[in-house]
Amino acid sequence: MASTAATRAAAGAAKVVKPIFSRDLDEAKRRVRELYRAWYREIPNTVALFQLDITTQQGQDKLREMFDKNKHVTDPRLVDMLVIKGKMELQETIHVWKQKTHIMRYFQESEEPRATDFLSKFYRGNEP
Amino acid sequence: MLGTCRLLSVMASRALHQCVRSLARPSLRLLSANLAVRAAPVPAAAALRPLSFAAASRRTRWLGKSSVSSGVLCRQYGDLPPLTLETIKERVMYVLKLYDKINPEKLQTSSHFMKDLGLDSLDQVEIIMAMEDEFGFEIPDVEAEKLMTPSEIVEYIADKKDVYE
Repeated sequence: MASTAATRAAAGAAKVVKPIFSRDLDEAKRRVRELYRAWYREIPNTVALFQLDITTQQGQDKLREMFDKNKHVTDPRLVDMLVIKGKMELQETIHVWKQKTHIMRYFQESEEPRATDFLSKFYRGNEP
Repeated sequence: MLGTCRLLSVMASRALHQCVRSLARPSLRLLSANLAVRAAPVPAAAALRPLSFAAASRRTRWLGKSSVSSGVLCRQYGDLPPLTLETIKERVMYVLKLYDKINPEKLQTSSHFMKDLGLDSLDQVEIIMAMEDEFGFEIPDVEAEKLMTPSEIVEYIADKKDVYE
């Protein structure tokens, strides 16, 4: 039983999936860095253009927070999908297809953070 | 914008000609006297030639005097001072000390960003962007991800800007 499970796990690990953009994690991380650069350069223009009431430093901290939220991801396809979504947000911000309220939504916490330890999950209910 | 630039340059050149002409006026009498003795060209040409000749000699002497301090006898156009390895290193260390996530006491030219200073890859991206802003040229991400110590950054900039020692 254990040997068949091990072989199945090994086969699953060796399975090759069709990549979205990048073939390995290094390329995906390069795309992440390019996206970070583009957003970083765009933040002062955004604050001026939308006449936001935040400082540039606050915007940069929020940018770092959004990127750190997904720091733990290792699958290159997932990283690519997140980069694509980030690029879409950037395009909408640059072309002013968004409005002030959409940008300020980043700064408002609207969801509760998911519970990670056992006791919080237990208090919430019978969720795995 | 281009039209105003050209107009400004025209006005600047006219002002330069006027002040040079005023400088050249005392010597004009001597030179014109010499030229009148030697030959008898058209008066307009005679008047113009010593003017331009005196103006040119005056101009080079005047500008040459101002650039003697740099040691090189050349015209100083509106360019930045030349880069040397020491100035690049000073500027790089200055920018790094201004970064708030770096402890300035622990910073040396050989300190690794990730291992010694405990920075993130995104912090390193921010540092490289600060270097781009400081030195005024783009550093592509392919080469930027390899720059992990300040001395490597100095070497890269010296390589790109053709600064030898």
